[in-house]
Amino acid sequence: MIVAGREGGADGVRIVLETEEAMLLSELADQVDSVLLLGGDDDPALGRLIPNAYPDDATSARDFARYTRESLVDGKRQAAQSVRDATATERGSGIVEIELDQAQAWDWLTFLTDLRLILAERVGVVDEEADEADEQRDDYLRAAYEWAGIVQGSMLEVLDPMAE
Amino acid sequence: MATTIEQLDADLVDDEAVRVELPWQAIVWDDPVNLMTYVTYVFQSYFGYPREEAERLMLLVHHEGRAVVATGNREAMERHVQAMHGYGLQATVARAEA
Repeated sequence: MIVAGREGGADGVRIVLETEEAMLLSELADQVDSVLLLGGDDDPALGRLIPNAYPDDATSARDFARYTRESLVDGKRQAAQSVRDATATERGSGIVEIELDQAQAWDWLTFLTDLRLILAERVGVVDEEADEADEQRDDYLRAAYEWAGIVQGSMLEVLDPMAE
Repeated sequence: MATTIEQLDADLVDDEAVRVELPWQAIVWDDPVNLMTYVTYVFQSYFGYPREEAERLMLLVHHEGRAVVATGNREAMERHVQAMHGYGLQATVARAEA
């Protein structure tokens, strides 16, 4: 994976991925979108994405959620869909080059955060008597978590936070 | 004379009408997931804080567990907290302490 600035000093970022990496990101974007779309109120991963703004005031918390939850979820779904669209690629085509402007880069940054929040929540819930399959799944989730952190960190090295 | 005036000031602060005037705060909380560089980036980009200030606040969150990132009226604080949630940060609204 390569993360670099764009030609001519333009804002945003250029990302070069191997096809497998692009497909992985696309798959993860689908899964994040599913959690946002289908997650119930008892899903702790969804709870990480929709924090309680008034933990000591149930009435205010309810009012705040009523006003903000829908647009918060919509914004996060849009970010995930933006990543999925950018990484859509044919299997076996070698590498994928992606140019993101500043706004699209923001989508990726927030998506990667949402992804890591979900993965952290999933891995945190580890059954003491996890069987082999569960442990493999957790290894996969941890690897995805680390990798998403690397992608995000690399993007942050290139992006200018003060760019319009 | 001085004692009487000081007592009067203390009574005013306890008065409910005056408490309503106290500002509200937007507070960002630490979480084990978010990268320090990401938190700094959000503070710079969203609030327009210079890099040093953004880093100072980020380190406050990191070391103290939380930091007040904005102060003002309640509506504005709710908008900031909503934005922080959009960026994946844990944030709450609270009345400023007297």
